[in-house]
Amino acid sequence: VDTNVLPRPLSGDAEPTKVLEMYPLNCHPRFLRLTTHAIPNSQSLSSRWHLPLGAVVHPLAEAPDGEEVPLINFGPIGIIRCRRCRTYVNPYVTFTDAGRKWKCNLCFLLNDVPGDYVCPLDASGRRTDVDQRPELSKGSVEFVASTEYMVRPPMPPLYFFLIDVSMPAIRSGLLEIVARTIKSSLDDLPGFPRTQIGFITFDSTLHFHNLKSSLTQPQMLVVADLDDIFLPLPDDLLVNLSESRHVVDAFLDSLPIMFQGSANIESALGPALKAALMVMSQLGGKLLVFQSTLPSLGVGRLRLRGDDLRIYGTDKEHTLRLPEDPFYKQMAAEFTKNQIAVDIFAFREKYSDIASLGSLAKYTGGQVYLYPSFHAAIHREKLSYELARNLTRETAWEAVMRIRCGKGVRFTTYHGHFMLRSTDLLALPAVDCDKAFAMQLSLEESLMTSQIVYFQVALLYTSSSGERRIRVHTAAAPVVADLGEMYRQADTGAIVSLLGRLATENSLSQKLEDARQSMQLKLVKSLKEYRNLHVVQHRLGGRLIFPESLKFLPLYVLSLCKSVALRGGYADASLDERCAAGYNIMILPISRMLKLLYPCLFRIDEKLLKDPEEFQEPFNQLPLTTHSLDPKGIYILDDGFNFIMWLGRMLSSDLVNNLLGVELTSFPDLSRVVLSEHDNDISKRLTRILKELREKDPSAYQSCRLVRQGEQPRELSMFLANLVEDQTAGFSG
Amino acid sequence: MEEDHALGGGGAAPDPDGPDGVRMTWNSWPRNKVEASKCVVPVAASFAPIRSSPSLAVLPYPPLRCKPPCGSVLNPFARVDFAAKMWICPLCFSRNHFPPHYAGISEANVPGELYPQCTTVEYAPPPLDSTAPPPLPVFLFVLDICLIEEELEFVKSAMRRAIGLLPDHALVGLITFGTQVHLHELGFADMSKVYLFQGTKEIPKEQILDQLGLSIAGVRHGAVNVAPRGPQANGFHSSTSVNRFLLPASDCEYTLNSLLDELQTDKWPVEAGNRALRCTGVALSVAAGLLGACISGTGARIIALVGGPCTIGPGMIVSKDLSEPVRSHKDLDKDAAPHFQKAVKFYDNLAKQLVNQGHVLDLFASALDQVGVAEMKVAVERTGGLVVLAESFGHPVFKDSFKRIFEDGEQSLGLSFNGTLEINCSKDIKIQGIIGPCTSLEKKGALCADTVVGQGNTTSWKMCGLDRSTCLTVFFDISPSERSNQSGIPNPQLYLQFLTNYQNPEGQMRLRVTTVTRRWVDGSNTEELVEGFDQETAAVVLARYISLKMEMEEEFDATRWLDRSLIRLCSRFGDYRKDDPASFTLHPNFSILPQFIFNLRRSQFVQVFNNSPDETAYFCILLNRESITNSVVMIQPSLLSYSFSSPPAPALLDVASIAADRILLLDAYFSIVIFHGMTIAQWRNMGYQNQPEHQAFAQLLQAPHDDALGIIADRFPVPRLVVCDQHGSQARFLLAKLNPSATYNSGQEVVPGGDVIFTDDVSLQVFCEHLQRLAVQS
Ligand SMILES: [Zn+2]
Ligand SMILES: [Zn+2]
Repeated sequence: VDTNVLPRPLSGDAEPTKVLEMYPLNCHPRFLRLTTHAIPNSQSLSSRWHLPLGAVVHPLAEAPDGEEVPLINFGPIGIIRCRRCRTYVNPYVTFTDAGRKWKCNLCFLLNDVPGDYVCPLDASGRRTDVDQRPELSKGSVEFVASTEYMVRPPMPPLYFFLIDVSMPAIRSGLLEIVARTIKSSLDDLPGFPRTQIGFITFDSTLHFHNLKSSLTQPQMLVVADLDDIFLPLPDDLLVNLSESRHVVDAFLDSLPIMFQGSANIESALGPALKAALMVMSQLGGKLLVFQSTLPSLGVGRLRLRGDDLRIYGTDKEHTLRLPEDPFYKQMAAEFTKNQIAVDIFAFREKYSDIASLGSLAKYTGGQVYLYPSFHAAIHREKLSYELARNLTRETAWEAVMRIRCGKGVRFTTYHGHFMLRSTDLLALPAVDCDKAFAMQLSLEESLMTSQIVYFQVALLYTSSSGERRIRVHTAAAPVVADLGEMYRQADTGAIVSLLGRLATENSLSQKLEDARQSMQLKLVKSLKEYRNLHVVQHRLGGRLIFPESLKFLPLYVLSLCKSVALRGGYADASLDERCAAGYNIMILPISRMLKLLYPCLFRIDEKLLKDPEEFQEPFNQLPLTTHSLDPKGIYILDDGFNFIMWLGRMLSSDLVNNLLGVELTSFPDLSRVVLSEHDNDISKRLTRILKELREKDPSAYQSCRLVRQGEQPRELSMFLANLVEDQTAGFSG
Repeated sequence: MEEDHALGGGGAAPDPDGPDGVRMTWNSWPRNKVEASKCVVPVAASFAPIRSSPSLAVLPYPPLRCKPPCGSVLNPFARVDFAAKMWICPLCFSRNHFPPHYAGISEANVPGELYPQCTTVEYAPPPLDSTAPPPLPVFLFVLDICLIEEELEFVKSAMRRAIGLLPDHALVGLITFGTQVHLHELGFADMSKVYLFQGTKEIPKEQILDQLGLSIAGVRHGAVNVAPRGPQANGFHSSTSVNRFLLPASDCEYTLNSLLDELQTDKWPVEAGNRALRCTGVALSVAAGLLGACISGTGARIIALVGGPCTIGPGMIVSKDLSEPVRSHKDLDKDAAPHFQKAVKFYDNLAKQLVNQGHVLDLFASALDQVGVAEMKVAVERTGGLVVLAESFGHPVFKDSFKRIFEDGEQSLGLSFNGTLEINCSKDIKIQGIIGPCTSLEKKGALCADTVVGQGNTTSWKMCGLDRSTCLTVFFDISPSERSNQSGIPNPQLYLQFLTNYQNPEGQMRLRVTTVTRRWVDGSNTEELVEGFDQETAAVVLARYISLKMEMEEEFDATRWLDRSLIRLCSRFGDYRKDDPASFTLHPNFSILPQFIFNLRRSQFVQVFNNSPDETAYFCILLNRESITNSVVMIQPSLLSYSFSSPPAPALLDVASIAADRILLLDAYFSIVIFHGMTIAQWRNMGYQNQPEHQAFAQLLQAPHDDALGIIADRFPVPRLVVCDQHGSQARFLLAKLNPSATYNSGQEVVPGGDVIFTDDVSLQVFCEHLQRLAVQS
């Protein structure tokens, strides 16, 4: 494939909002996107669609002001649902019998309308109150759930921290950043005044912390019996934040110095996890794990793996990307059962077995954060921002999600971070706006009779304010008999998202090469199919042609093959970074996924030299190829997670000096340079540019690293590897 | 029978123990086994190893020892050949050369240890390494927090007072326990840090050290070793580490006090119908484990303050279920105490560990219920610990006793550490063992007897803790070998030498040497034997002996054994015509013994069913460690009478001593009772003592109080003071101890103002009549 002729996605993800023109009652595509908004009417047609057929759901996607999901309280009437299939009332249900009956759009059952909900119909059979009823006029609504949706009183927001305090954690400055960030986030934790908080620190022993509000200072309780973990107190290990605030503050103030001088390099993570489970099991909540070393003591201890080059390319290759010890998956199951979501923050310089640790996040609806070669000076802002975001973003607690669909189709597989509780119920101890889920669809009948298929996503959760709620997204999609229509309605973003997840999952049971190939095969088959469709009328030779809707797909698939999770072999990514990237792919919403796959490249030197007041040109995104680079330029590559600033070889030293605040020559090692604002216009303009770029994506903090043209091997691994259109990118050899 | 001798050792004689602190049942020893067995009362010596004595000579140099295997220390009984610069050991007759630095000795210039009056001397040689400071004493408090608020406050204030009294250089540690064990790391920054141990699980010592990061290997926890490398790296490492938990009192006073301020009762809920979960056993294991990390030779005491029974984990004495009562003597007798043997085994092992480390367990039990003193006894006694049993941490018995252990100066108990006792004796004498606060070091030798009494099979004993009043009873066996009979000129004197190495309260190592001599009695010369009989010592030794037998032998019938022994003794040493009871008389040296035995039969030591097993254990520990004088009072209380008509005077321990116009002061050792006769009580209630014209009455009322306080001041543990009136409910404390010469069924006329005792016990008179009849039987 000649990449030069491929269309480039230089303006990022395009949400398929045109669907809303045809189906204005559908939920906004930010919440639900189908890989093609045309459902094949037969299995034979479906089998000619070689790309995944399915959906990407982002149930808590942030909506712009004015487009918030409306909250509805049915009060004593109760939430109106289909008696048979439990579908929630939605704009696509129809009313009959003078408004006394309603017909379910998913299963066609005629349901009684509760007396208080009855409303006369107009001549066309529409309820006259539709405009006052968001549940009948909007694709996304949120219902306040009554007690029948609770198995227990709604839990308070709960944040529990499991912090590695071994020597590396202290030496790297990590502990100090974590403590400070948590402290500065306390006022913004959701759920005041019910929010609960607690801490366990650990090295070769576990340290519980008594935060009882009547104490003047916290008390540290050490449990060293790793084989038989027990709780040191019946309560006060988890406290109400507002009541114990002064003790929590005192704890966080002393946390960075508490273990100063420790020479302990061991990590009893497994026992610490068990202890956390014991403390949290009553309520559930979020468990944030900060891990600086490889777990070395007690249950769940891990060993160094993945440094054996010979295992790559063999049948055992994939085992490196799987947890070695079943302990982690078992713990994850326990956590989920107890409504606990686990986020992993990993910092180890060398191997920390993200494959194993990450499975805790994978099955609990959590997230994996990896800061390779963590260094306080370089990563302070990034860690601090991302931790604060994790703590303060709106979070849905003790949630379950189900996606229903009309007759004839069925969701078969689900891809993301969750635990599947029954065949179609996703358990999500916690879920937030930074997580999306994907699922594949199959036809149950050989021939569909209906014209339209409806989908309904329902997320039942506890809000931070302590209310039980159900968020419902409903969408309709037409059933088609024409493959061409399927192509026309294809959604590249959803396809890439699903393909990426499938390939990542494949990499857990196959060689990387096989995972990449099966993805490429799908693309090729699909394009061949499309070509066959048009070969007669266009008399094409051997040339590939793309439908307009899929024009970026080849490049994205190429990018996927070159992504950290899937690229190359042994030498092309560290095992941990590869696994972390894999976990990341599994939760990313579509737009962030696309940006990660095809990062934005901008030239900024001109902007730095001109007064921003008069020079307000938008950023001009460049193709990801070395041809875009001018040795006299400064470029920023933004993948949504990091910025990499590339300094051309022939830059004026004045510019560079102003930018860095030092002589470039005195700083041969750019890996140690930390950008900060200096007292000159150029530096200030750079700060402004970075700020502007960062505002585009609040989900992560893009720390800015520098690389100079020709500075090897950093230029290759950090920067050039991202230029996916180039031959060299993503492959070492 | 002369009953006017019937007063106990109420403190009349100035120093019955003599300068050596040695008292023997027989001061003339029968020469052979047969004669010894006819003596009935065992040949035994009660010995106070480090009794304080104003005349004690302290010698600033090391002792001279006889050549091995004897090893006796030079003493006034040695024959010295000044010309040849030789001395002959009185115990083994070996000849020893004086070393060069003794060259200057002559008849006119003898070293201190040869002065005739210096049969007891103390050596205080300069330490080998004078730069090394003496090891610091360690006080590790182990505090029960399964208490009601009120008791916790009491114990806190006692602790605060103790902390204020601790010598600045002493190292202090704190463990609190309830459902779990909390070991407080006193040296941790400005924050409270606690290590926890589960209360349900027995933890081996190594694991405790491991979990605390104190194991010598530098920890499973592979901490990067920060200690300097080199030959002493390990020692340095472990000592610095244990100092996280044990800090000089002056450094941690503030920390400890603020810790006590925040200390609360156990947080774990107690279910209805259940006892609190209290893991005394694990707490003590952790304490012992922690002390195991101390440099060897460190004198340390675990001071356990316990407010209830151990209900979980090793050492538990009763289950948490309240429907299960704490074991009684009856249960123990019927083998119906399911936890007892296991618990004793556990504490026995703990005792072994502590003895091995040289550390002491002190037990302060304060509860209305039993806490398990009976089970813990072995650990307290084997380590030479102190024990105090009170009903509340607010009671003076606890408060004042607890304070005493930290006081210095006059009031000081002289708490010392790391004692070892060696005994040497003349040939033909074997040692059966010791009853008292010590542990056999199992150093077997030629001097060991075949039969063992108490801690035997050794000539060397460990006393982890000992003090000025510590007293041991050594049991001897006379077994002349074949050869000694042939030797011709038998030596008429026998010698015993007690060598006590110990660390005094200042941390200095001392060697106390006491050498005593007694006469052998040949053949069946009863007269000489009688002359040398000490009936007080005999009574106490018998009491200690039967207490041991009662504990060790399941079917042992103490009363019967005592009766038979007394009859045999009277048959052998009384004067009488056969089958004529009226002709029976006893030598004054024997005359009070029947009364001692009569009271011993009625005492808490024999009538154990009147007490709980905890109380019995408590009484026995004290009986076994106190001086003869004090122990006699335990067996046979003393009674003083106060009245207008005469000065305070000893009164018969008899119900007949009660009179309406008298005040009685009973000293039963563990309790002191001031008993007001009816009339006295009436006057007092009317307030006569406050009227100036009745000053004499005020003085009469005050006198027994002053005397009681005098007794209390000298005694550890502090006795319980009971002030009562005739016919009042508390009067039972007096009546229980009196001879029931007048009982409700004795048919005797009661003198007006007198009293009767509701008992079926026989009176002393009846007892003595029986004795006389049986002793003269042919
Ligand atoms: Zn339905
Ligand atoms: Zn000798």
